[in-house]
Amino acid sequence: MSLRRTGVLLWKELTKGSRSFIFILALVVPVLISLLLALLFGTFFSDRAKLGIVDEGSSQIPARAANMEALLVSEFESESELKDAVARGAVDIGMVLPEGFDEQMAAREPAEVDGYIWGESGLDSRAILGTSILALFRDVAGYEPPVEIITTTLGEAQTLPWEDRLLPFIVLMTIMIGGMMIPATSLAQERQDRTLVALTTTPTTLGDVLTAKGIVGVLVASTMAVVTLALNRAFGGDAVLLIGALILGSIMAVTFGLLLGVMTKDTNSLFGTIKAMGLILYAPALIFMFPEIPQWIARLFPTYYIIRPVIEITQMGAGFEDVLPELIVLVLLIGGLIGITAFAAQRKAEATA
Amino acid sequence: MNREMLGAVIRKDLRLWFKNRFLAVITIAALFGYAGIYYLLPSQIDETLEIGVFAPAIASALSAPLEEEGVILEQYASEAALKEAVTEGEVPVGVSFPGDLLAALALGERPTVDIYLSADLPQEFSDLYPILVEEWIALMAGTSMPVEFNEEILGPDMAGSLTPTRDRMLPLLAVFVLMVEVLGLASLISEEITTGTIKAILITPLSTEGLFTAKGIFGVGLAFVQVTLLMLVTGGLIKQPILILLILLMGAVMVTGIAFLMASASKDMMSVMWKGMLAMLILAIPAMNVLLPGLTTDWIKIIPSFYLVDAVHQVINFDASWGAVWSNVLILAAFAGVFLALGILALRRQFR
Repeated sequence: MSLRRTGVLLWKELTKGSRSFIFILALVVPVLISLLLALLFGTFFSDRAKLGIVDEGSSQIPARAANMEALLVSEFESESELKDAVARGAVDIGMVLPEGFDEQMAAREPAEVDGYIWGESGLDSRAILGTSILALFRDVAGYEPPVEIITTTLGEAQTLPWEDRLLPFIVLMTIMIGGMMIPATSLAQERQDRTLVALTTTPTTLGDVLTAKGIVGVLVASTMAVVTLALNRAFGGDAVLLIGALILGSIMAVTFGLLLGVMTKDTNSLFGTIKAMGLILYAPALIFMFPEIPQWIARLFPTYYIIRPVIEITQMGAGFEDVLPELIVLVLLIGGLIGITAFAAQRKAEATA
Repeated sequence: MNREMLGAVIRKDLRLWFKNRFLAVITIAALFGYAGIYYLLPSQIDETLEIGVFAPAIASALSAPLEEEGVILEQYASEAALKEAVTEGEVPVGVSFPGDLLAALALGERPTVDIYLSADLPQEFSDLYPILVEEWIALMAGTSMPVEFNEEILGPDMAGSLTPTRDRMLPLLAVFVLMVEVLGLASLISEEITTGTIKAILITPLSTEGLFTAKGIFGVGLAFVQVTLLMLVTGGLIKQPILILLILLMGAVMVTGIAFLMASASKDMMSVMWKGMLAMLILAIPAMNVLLPGLTTDWIKIIPSFYLVDAVHQVINFDASWGAVWSNVLILAAFAGVFLALGILALRRQFR
């Protein structure tokens, strides 16, 4: 293997390969998904009950409702807009506050409020909203709470919010698109276009080609993984250890991508293979999302050892010794994959010759 | 149109598709994967609020009105048992009422109520429970508000029997299955255009119409069989099977037209991929709206897959009949016809 030739190939991969669809996908998808999730978790995936209000006067209720942590409050200009939002499920319950409502409440005069309930809202959301609305009315009417409440928190927190549960999936996807897809598609495309044969008839060896493509994959995967963690406000813990774990994870994704690129005969077969393996590749991240599934199952999948150290470092503040067992397995897997890839590449080269 | 020749082209396409045994196996594996996702998700939605209570004197007065509203009260024999249950995660919240609560309220006093919250409880719910407890006690004390709430339920009232997420996800999985097969068909055709196979076929007595018919049957068949299998294994064909099959068939015709369009505008697999991903993202939006209601407004109806997704969702999850979804089926059929015609026109231009 020649360093100079590998360098030339690397430069070619970076300049020409960066125009490919998969390369752009590897850069754009993690950013897009991070932004999309930030939007979704602000509203749609939230467990909070959604209340819509039309204020025909100048009631204090919308502002007070917005201050309640348990509610997601939206204001609407008209009753028809509110009804449309309730019918679509954008809010669970909508109410129309008539003009002078606060004054009526303060004077303890009877008042009427029109309300709309989304048929598909759950009993829990209805109970939460019903009680919260009553509490808001009492608040505006100036009623004193009938009891004094003392709250105490017991035990230690164990559950993770959905944003944190989804993070392994996003990071793993980022690493797999950059690390696995870029070298695999590039290799399959070169084979399909017969440029690989042309290249290897020169003094350039298949090893030079694989190394150059692999380096590009590691660079893109690890850089985008860092960007994804930063975008999701999860780049924390021991930075050097985290970057080291991300680079190791990217190397494993790259070796797997190179193996796929070597084994599959064209891009059709490659995408078919990736499509079929999707569940296996992402299984550890999917299992992490659902704590009801026994978590030990995730250990059976190789990509667990890519993502677990990252999660331990970022979400649990783990140090080197804590993640060492996973990193050792990861290094062993990388070694094994490099061996298998080298063997497969050798066989392919012999078959082509 | 010669039936034998049509059959020969379809057999050739099928052979090409399944020639790669790996591709054939993984097509089935992907189906199992989708079905696996479906069965991994919970089959029911828990709509209840579970609260532990130590209420020596008012247990029955508390529980009766609340259970109808989805609040389940777990009674504990002592405050210590209640605290232990919250600490161990048996219940997320525990409320300890004083024994003389009602008497104190009657005397106009403000008794103290202890609420124990599990550390796992999200912050928004931590703030909610004190409000809930205050309201229950206010109701028990008879301090009702002089407000009449005229409520109207919009849409079918599903409280207590909400559609599980996995059933909401079925239309999304169907769109994915259809679209993934589109990618395969489009790349197959674009490869045939690039390599000149199509022109070679057209030199034979097979007419252009015959070729389109064969490709159409192959594409529709491939997509339809897979999506039908998915529905079959997930129980999606239990209600109105003929209606569902018709909707899926229309969907398969529509995506075959889209595949023709993509193939006509693509040079290779990579080109098909990015166009296909874009199409998949757009067509998946209506399905995402079913999964996350309220995501979009009426503009979603301009996306052709809306009529497929909405019809499947209505039939599977709301027992809708022919009468309820006929307009969806008609519009979907129109879209399918338009896409197929456009796809054929675009491909025909490529052959010239």
